[in-house]
This record gives sequence, C-alpha cells and structure tokens, in this order.
Amino acid sequence: MDAAEVEFLAEKEIVEIIPNFSLDKIYLIGGDLGPFNPGLPVEVPVWLALNLKQRHKCRIIPPEWMDTEKLEEIREQERKLDTFTPIPSPYYMELTKLLLNHAADNIPKADDIRTLVKDIWDTRMAKLRLSADSFISQQEAHAQLDNLTLMEINTTRSFLLNSLNYMYKLRKNLQPTRTHDY
Amino acid sequence: MPCERKPMRYGHSEGLTDVCFDDEGKSIVTCGSDGDVRIWESLDDDDPKSINVGEKAFSVALRNGKLITAVSNNTVQIHTFPEGDPDGILTRFTTNANHVTFNTSGSKVAVGSSDFLVKIVEVTDSSQQKTLRGHEAPVLSVAFDPSDEFLLLAIPVDATVQLYDRNTWTHVSTLSDDLSTQVVNVVVWSPCGKFLAAGTVGGNLLIWDVEAKLCVERQKHEKGFTVCGMAWHPSGGRITYTDTEGCLGLLDGVSSASAPTSSSTTQSTKATAAKETNDYDDLFDEDDDRMMDEGMSDSRSPVKKALVEEDDDDDLMPATGRARNRASFLDDDNSQDAASVKPDKLPEADGSSAILPPVVPAVSRPVYEGPMPTPPQRAFQPGSTPVHLMHRFMMWNSIGIVRGYNDDQDNAIDVEFHDTAIHHAMHLTNTLGHTMVDLSQEAVLLACEGTDELASKIQCLHFSCWDTLKEWMVDIPKGEDARALCLGQGWAAVATSTLMVRLFSIGGVQREMFSLPGAVVCMAGHGEQLLIVYHRGTGFDGDQSLGVQLIQLGRKRKQVIQGEALPLSRKSYLAWMGFTAEGTPCCVDSEGVVRILNRTLGNTWTPVCNTRESCKSKSDHYWVVGVHENPQQLRCIPCKGSRFPPTLPRPAVAVLPFKLPYCQTTTEKGQMEEQYWRSVLFHNHYDFLSSSGYEIDSEGQSQAQKEQQELLMKMFALSCKLEREFRCVELAELMTHNVVTLAIRYASRSRRMALAQKLNELALEKANQLHEEEEQEEEEPAYQSVARNSQFNHVRRESRGSSQMNGCDDEDVEEEYTQEEERDAEESPEIKKPCLNPFKKGAKSPERPSPKPVNREVCANPFKVSSAGKSSGSPAGQSRTTNVLDSMTMSSRKPAALSGTSKQSKAPVLKPLAPKAKSKTQATLLQMSATKVSSKKQESQSETDTVKRAPAATPPVSAENTENRKPKTGFQLWLDENRKSILGDNPDFEEMDVIKEGMGRFRTLTAGERLEWSEKAKSESDPKKRKREHGGEEDEQMKSDESGGKKKKPLDSSAKLSAFAFNKE
Repeated sequence: MDAAEVEFLAEKEIVEIIPNFSLDKIYLIGGDLGPFNPGLPVEVPVWLALNLKQRHKCRIIPPEWMDTEKLEEIREQERKLDTFTPIPSPYYMELTKLLLNHAADNIPKADDIRTLVKDIWDTRMAKLRLSADSFISQQEAHAQLDNLTLMEINTTRSFLLNSLNYMYKLRKNLQPTRTHDY
Repeated sequence: MPCERKPMRYGHSEGLTDVCFDDEGKSIVTCGSDGDVRIWESLDDDDPKSINVGEKAFSVALRNGKLITAVSNNTVQIHTFPEGDPDGILTRFTTNANHVTFNTSGSKVAVGSSDFLVKIVEVTDSSQQKTLRGHEAPVLSVAFDPSDEFLLLAIPVDATVQLYDRNTWTHVSTLSDDLSTQVVNVVVWSPCGKFLAAGTVGGNLLIWDVEAKLCVERQKHEKGFTVCGMAWHPSGGRITYTDTEGCLGLLDGVSSASAPTSSSTTQSTKATAAKETNDYDDLFDEDDDRMMDEGMSDSRSPVKKALVEEDDDDDLMPATGRARNRASFLDDDNSQDAASVKPDKLPEADGSSAILPPVVPAVSRPVYEGPMPTPPQRAFQPGSTPVHLMHRFMMWNSIGIVRGYNDDQDNAIDVEFHDTAIHHAMHLTNTLGHTMVDLSQEAVLLACEGTDELASKIQCLHFSCWDTLKEWMVDIPKGEDARALCLGQGWAAVATSTLMVRLFSIGGVQREMFSLPGAVVCMAGHGEQLLIVYHRGTGFDGDQSLGVQLIQLGRKRKQVIQGEALPLSRKSYLAWMGFTAEGTPCCVDSEGVVRILNRTLGNTWTPVCNTRESCKSKSDHYWVVGVHENPQQLRCIPCKGSRFPPTLPRPAVAVLPFKLPYCQTTTEKGQMEEQYWRSVLFHNHYDFLSSSGYEIDSEGQSQAQKEQQELLMKMFALSCKLEREFRCVELAELMTHNVVTLAIRYASRSRRMALAQKLNELALEKANQLHEEEEQEEEEPAYQSVARNSQFNHVRRESRGSSQMNGCDDEDVEEEYTQEEERDAEESPEIKKPCLNPFKKGAKSPERPSPKPVNREVCANPFKVSSAGKSSGSPAGQSRTTNVLDSMTMSSRKPAALSGTSKQSKAPVLKPLAPKAKSKTQATLLQMSATKVSSKKQESQSETDTVKRAPAATPPVSAENTENRKPKTGFQLWLDENRKSILGDNPDFEEMDVIKEGMGRFRTLTAGERLEWSEKAKSESDPKKRKREHGGEEDEQMKSDESGGKKKKPLDSSAKLSAFAFNKE
C-alpha cells in the first residue's frame, strides 16, 4: 500500500460544502447525495467536494477539527504525552493536504493549520521512530501502538517489516555461529 | 466669576504633564515627559523636589504617602512620598497607562490605559485587580467619584463627559456645555463629590455641578494650550492644572465661587441625587436596560451588553456611536426630571452646607412610576447586520449575500449569489453611501438616506433586464428619506420617513403609493405579496407595539392583513421579518421565537420554533436568514456570543428543525399532536398557492395529507388503546371520510362497538357534508360550463350533421343535441372539480379532506344510492341515516340480482323524475340515452356509436355507475347469496351483525372459493354497461308516454341551465 492509496481511501471521508448550484438528489452506489441547494451546506465525500471546488461549484467548509485552536491543543497534548494521542480524524494528514491544496481559500488560517498539522505529524513520526527503535533495541516480541492513523502506519510499515526480517535473518545466522562456539 | 486664575509657571519640559495635591493640600505634585516627579510647596516654589521615576511619566497620583505614577515602560509604579523611593510595580498594561487616580479612601487605584482598559487595583495588594473593558478607544482619563458611586470616563471623541455607574456599568448621565465644543481631555471630581472639573484640548477649564448638570465655571488657559492634568485641592477650593507645554497653573477660590450659585439647590439636588440615580438604575437595569439598548437599534445590542454586564466578554466592538446615542436619549430624561424636581425642593433648601454625606435617605417625591414607554425600534432591513459596522452584511437572503465595506480604503458593496446560475458576483463602489439593500432573482435594490446636499436615492440594478441599460436611479423628494425597501416579483417598494410607501415597477416606473399609519420597521416582498411592519403606537415596559400589513399586489389587489398587531415575545423587538420560500409571512423576534402566519385560522401567528432553545450559551444567538416550509427548514447562522455574524470568517448556514411549543411533547401523544399540527401548518401554503393561481406540487400535497391522516390514525389508535373513546371520535372528526372508514374498521376489530357506532354516524355526517358541498359546486359552475359547452356543441352538431348520411330529421338531431348538452352539463362540473375543489375545501374544513377526485368517489359512493333518488334540494332522507355498512350491503345486493332488479330499482327513480323538470340530470341522462338507442336502433351506425361512446366515456363521472361498481367485491356477492342463511340462523341479527357474521363465514371459505367470488364480482362490471342500454328497452313504454312532448322535454327534464344554453343557441 502506498501513500496514494491511503489518500484515495481518505477521499471517501465526508465534508460539508456550500454549493452554488441547485441539483436534485443524486443516487450513487455509495449512497444518495444531496439535494444541493445553493447556499445551504450539504455533506458530500471529499472526492466530490474537491471536484466541485475545482470547477468553482462550491465552497468547502473545513471539518470542525481543522481549526488552529483545536490543533494547537492537540499539538500540546501530543508533545506532552509519550504515547500517541487520539486524533480527531483518522485521515487528518491526508485531508489537511487535500483540502489545503485545493481549497485553501475556504479555510481560515490555512498556513497556520498547515504548520500545526505538520508539527503534529512530525511529533508523531518522531514518537513512532523512537518506539520502533526501543522495540528493536529491547528485542521485544510485540508492541502496542494505539491511535495510529493509516498513513502513519503506512510510512513505517514496509521499512520496519523489511528491516525486522533482515535482523531476524542476521540473528539466525548469528546464533548458529554461537552454538558452533559451544 | 469670582474664581481667580493665577499666572502660569514653568513646571516641566514640553510634553504630557500631570498634577496632583498631596493629602493635606500643602504641596503640589507634578510629573512630566521628562520622567521627573516634582513636588512643589506652592506655585511660587522655585526649588521643587524632583524624583526621577522613569523615562517619561504620564500620570501621577498621591495618597497616604504613596505616589503612583504611570510611566512609559507600560507600568504603573509606586513610590513612597515624600522620599521618592521605589516601592514596586502596581500593574502593567500592554501599552502606556494614561491616567491613574486614587479613590477617596486611598485603598484603590484606577488606571486607564491606551489599550482600552481600565483597571482598578488595590494599593496594598496589587493582585486584587478588576479590569473594566468596554471602552472602545484609549482611556485618557479616569476618576473615582468620592462617594464611590460613579467611575467616570471621559470619552475623548466628544465634548461631553459621560457618567457611568461603576457597579453596573450603566450610563447614568452626560455632562456637556453649550459653549464648549472642544474635546475633553481630563476630568476630576472635587473632593466633595459635587463638582466635576474638566480640561479640554483647547485649554478650557470647565467645572460642572454634577447633580444640576450645570456648568458653573468656565476658565480659559492663558495661552490656550491643551490642558492635560488637573487636580483639586483637598479642601476643594483650588484647582491646579498643567498643560502639554509643561506649565503649571492654579485656579483659586473655585469652590467658593461656585458655592453661592448652587448652594441653594445643593441640598435638594443632593438629597434627590441618590433617589434619581436609583431611578435610573431601576430604569436601565438588567433586562430593561438591555431591552432599551437593543430596542433602540438592533445594531448596538451586543456591544452594549458587554458594557452593561461588565463581564469580560471578548466580543468588543466599536461602541462609540451607541454610547453617544444613548447619552442623548438619556439626557432628555434627566433634564425633565431635574426640572420637575427643583421647584418642589427649592423652598426647603436652607443653603447651610454644600457638602453632605454622599448617601442620604431618599426623600419621597412625586415620580411617575407607571409603565415606561419603550423607545421605538429603528427601521431595519431583515437579514442585515448593524449599519455602524465597517464590514457588514447588508443582506443575506435566499438569493444571495450582499456585503458592505466602509473603511478607510474602500467604500464598496459586494453582491454574491448563492446560485451562480442567477448572476455572477458583482462588486460595486458605494459612492452614494447606500445603507439599505435588497436582493431578488431579478434585481438589486439599493438606497441611501439623504444628506444636507443630496437627496435620498434609490438605485436599482436590474440585472435580469434584457435591454442594455440595466440600472436606474430615482431621487426621493427632499426631506424624505428611504427607511426600508424590498423587492418582489416585478416590483420594488420603498418606505420613507414621511410614512409613505412608494411602489415602483422593476424597470423603474413609479406605481402606486400609499401612506402608512406609523413609522416603518421593515418590509418584505415575495411574489406579489408585500409585507410591511410599522409602529402602530408606543410600547411600554420594553414591549414594542408593531402593526403589520400584508398587501396583495398582483391581479387580485387587496389588503390581506389590515394593520393588525404583530405578536412578539415580552420585552423583545422584531429581529427578522420575511416570507418563507413558499410565500407565508414569518417573523422572528429578539427572543428567538419564530412565528409563522396561519392563514387558515384568521391570519393568526403561530410560534413554530424558539432558536434560543438550541443555543448552547446564553449569549449565543441564531441569525435567521431564511425559512422553508417544504422541506421544513429554518436556515440560520449560529453566532457565538453575539446576535449577528461577522463577515469574516465567512459564516456557515445551519438548519434548525421546527418545533411547535405544544404541551407534553415528551409523551407520545404530545409528540404526535405536535407533528400533526406542524404538518397542517406547514402545508397551508398549498392552499394559498393554488388559490392565488400558482402551480402546486400536488404530489407533495397528497403526500402531506397522507402523512397527516396517518398521524391521526396513530393518535386514534393510541387513544383507543387508552380507552379514550370520546377522544377517538374527536380525532375522527379531523379525519377525511375514507380514513374514518378505516377507523371504523379499527374500532370494530378492537371490539369497541359503541365507538364504531359513533364513528359510523360521523362518517355519514361527513359524507353528507361532502355531498352537499358537491352539489353546491355543481350548481355554481354549471353556468359557466353550459355556456361554454353551448358553443362547443354547436360546432359538433354541425359536423355531425354532415356525417349523418341517412339524413335524420331535425327533431332527432335536436334531441340528441339536448341530450348531449345535458350530459355535458353534468359532466363538466365533475371534470372541473379537481381544480376547483382544493380551495373550496380548504376554506371550509381545516383538515382539508382530500380533493383528489378518486378519493371523493370512494367517499361519496355508499350514500349516493339514497341521494341519487332524491331531488337535490331534499333534506337527508331515511336512507342517509342508515349506517355505512348498511348502505354498502344494500348497494351490493343490487348487482347480484342484476337484470331482474334493474327495472324495479330504476323505476322508482325514474317515475318521479320524468314529469319533474328539476330532476337529477344524471337520471334523465341515463333514461334518455337509453330510449334514444332503442327508438333509433335502425338509424345509422355512427349515431349509435356516439351514444354508446358517451356513456362509456363518463363512467367514472356518473355517480350511479361508480356507485354500482364499487361495492361489487367478491365478499358482497357472496354475502348477498348467503344473507338468507345467516338470517335464518340468527333471525334477530341487525344488518351490522349480519355482515360481521358474513365476514367470519367468508373467511372460512377456501382461497379458491373466494377467488371465484371475486372473479364473479369483476365480471359483473361489464354486463352492467350492457344492462344500461338494454334497460332502455324496458323503459320504452314509459318513454312512449312522453314521446309526445319530446320537443318540450329538453326544456322540462333537463336542468334549467342547459335549457338556457339551448335558447342561446
């Protein structure tokens, strides 16, 4: 699984938009959307929101957590605790990136939000690396990591698994030599 | 004035200076921009003691050996006096503190700073701070009232001094002087608390008598420099002052000077002062007060509240304008009071002592203690935020958003449409200073109030116009200002300050104008409706007294609501007024209660929602932008801690549901009642729309009715379960006829015979009512339809005449024609019904029985049997009073013995009819068409065809026909067969019981048998048609009796109306 796939999954998250057109309900496999009334917020998946936004057909209302105050709070919490704190959205990074790239004009303090989310991301990644490091150095058999998002797991998975495999091989090779010593 | 002005002397270098006396009044302490504090033994002291306190000292205060200075590093420092040793920092600000002062006891210090704050700090414990927010500009000067009653803020933008009660932050009064128009720079209380001295920018020194609000002393600075520091001598007799040039001056004999002039009034005014302030406090306390502010202008409310509540609300907004307005309003009151008090009190005044303890027991005096008038609310545009804001919404409605910017760089208006398909966004420069806007699908209407030079103007951007000039402008006559405006479909209306409403066409043609009974509050337009709210009188105790007019402007011009009172919540004012998307008037008051006009209950207003109930905190509000009835939506913008939203960040619309404040909505019963009446209320617009000729979504309407009937049925079932049978009947009264039959079934199934019986009676009544209505309708529209048909028939006849190759004689043609006419006359009202009924019905019964023709047939049928035989004018006969089920079985018997009974069943119908001229047209129709067929059998095929076709085409119309068809279910056929055996078994059975028994037995039959019966029932319908034609043969003899009067017959036997049509031809 690569980042693009995770992003694709994130696109089915729901956001609110304010359309500037009027359209009856549309019936899709994933469920009914609409009706779209100009000026009235309506919930749609991110992919549709971005599509409409690119065609200048709507304004996107940022999700509730995409707010500097709330993010600052999360950042502080994240820095204070050693474990991962619960994140308001399982796709916070992807959504931030998607929405800020395409609809920055609809999001107040977009730059601050970008920085804050990046901060949170960095903090969490640092924690992840740290825990991976201690996991390996202490040669633990398992570790419990709560509140990780898909994207975060995804960044470390391939590398961690591969390196664990290699280390396993190396250790296996190491042990016979030791037994040989005996 | 006997006050003596001593010559000035140099004190400090140029810059801001301040001055104060020490406790005993022996020395004068000054500070200046050189950062020194100097202590002068007297004005002539040439060698003052200097203490350096900082880079710059802005203000100094001295009490109990403590010297407080405000210095340029944004702190307020304490020094010991007279030693001048630093004693710590009292408080800090984000910017320079401008003025510090002690209270009388020396325990507290008030500090005003440039960051708009006033802090009150305990001298001994600087952690005991109280921050006063709410001032909208740098606080230049503060002073304690020696009685601790007031804290005074000199508003630097004005030539007046305003007094606030320190505890409630209410504005108490304003001091001003006609001669002084300069900006007040500094104010100080005299030690006795009776006088107030102020220094102005232009060097004027003014002293007021606070209670009398009189300026008792005016002095001019010798060089006209700005006075920036003042201090009273503790004895009250002297004032020192400093100016921005660093000079020090002294006024001597101030108190003695003013004492004689005011001592006579001093005591009395002093005595009443407390009382007066109390009055004011009462007056403007809490709710009253808030109401007053908000009432005065919706715009000012949130800011004012911040002041009033003295909490640290962070929604501070520029409040300059309002404070001033408020002041002027209060001033009137004060002056009146003062005037009325003085004459009473003067004789008692002995002038002994001018200085009294500040709190004196209130002397009783005649005061008006009745209800106080409410200031009338100002005109506003619904959906706009206050005018004084720099960035504001000038209009937010269902079409779009209009934002106004009025700041240093820009005075502009942005128009944005929710639906970009209407028009693209517009940016207009607002050179005329428009303050009012309305927006519709067709145009933007703007208006500005007039100025001294310019008349008030109306500007219209008619963007949907197809010619090239999309804009027009109209000047309103001088002395008349636009106050409110609105747009409808194809028209615009402007209400002006001269209590006039001017109508324009959307293209700019002036149309009607009329006068309003009172000052306009707001207007709204929708389609052809114009809604005006105005002041119909003075409200009292916080209430507004508003009247409302609803005018229909289109083809049917009329005034629907004639200035009736608009209901509002207690102590509230109108916050929003408009139409729902479907065109029902709707209003929202400041308490958040949404009311909607109920047209079916004599244009009353029903509360449908309280937005405050959905608010999380007390200071939150919902700002309504639109109301929709279908779907039921209240569109509004949630505003945190204010009444209206800011333009940035762009607010999002939220949707609130409606909830009628019915009792006990926690119970199932209450809930369903609420749902039912809400549904009824919110579907009233169908009636209105159809009656005013608009298309309606009939599908939605029938769905709504279905929903209502379902709710009724649910409530019925619930009451049944609770054994509330009377209630059941009450509910059934609201039901339509066919739902009542359902209810009957439910009742009988749940073994409530008494209830079922009652319901039966009710059902009959309903059916009769329905029938009568039908007949009324039949009579009325017949005129038109016949007139219409006569023309139509004429054409038909000619064409047919040519097609009749056999050459039938005139007589025949004539007869045929009249028959057709009859048929048409009968047919047409029926055809017309679907379109006419909806409003006819709606007007009559609140629950609006279904206007769908299908339903009605079903309803009417069981009873048609009896009524068909009667002449239309006859009262309900015996057969009508029989119950539903009886009549059903009666009719069902008929088809069973079809051929045999047809003669008998028809004969009694026909016989009285034939001679009677006013017989039921339908009966004659059948008879005549039948005879015709029989007598002219040998005639051309084409003719018989037409005749055949005619009855075939009308089956759903012909009442008898449908009546016959309906009861022909398999069960009924079976029942007719088996009735005898049932009766034989139970000879004492009533009709009802027979049916019940029959039902039971029928159920025991096998499915196959039942199917057989129903097959039989189906096949019955066809023979019947045949029967009709054959039945004619049997009637032939009868026919032959009358054949002599064939020519006459059309006149006799058909309705008068068709005869009329015939003559016309």
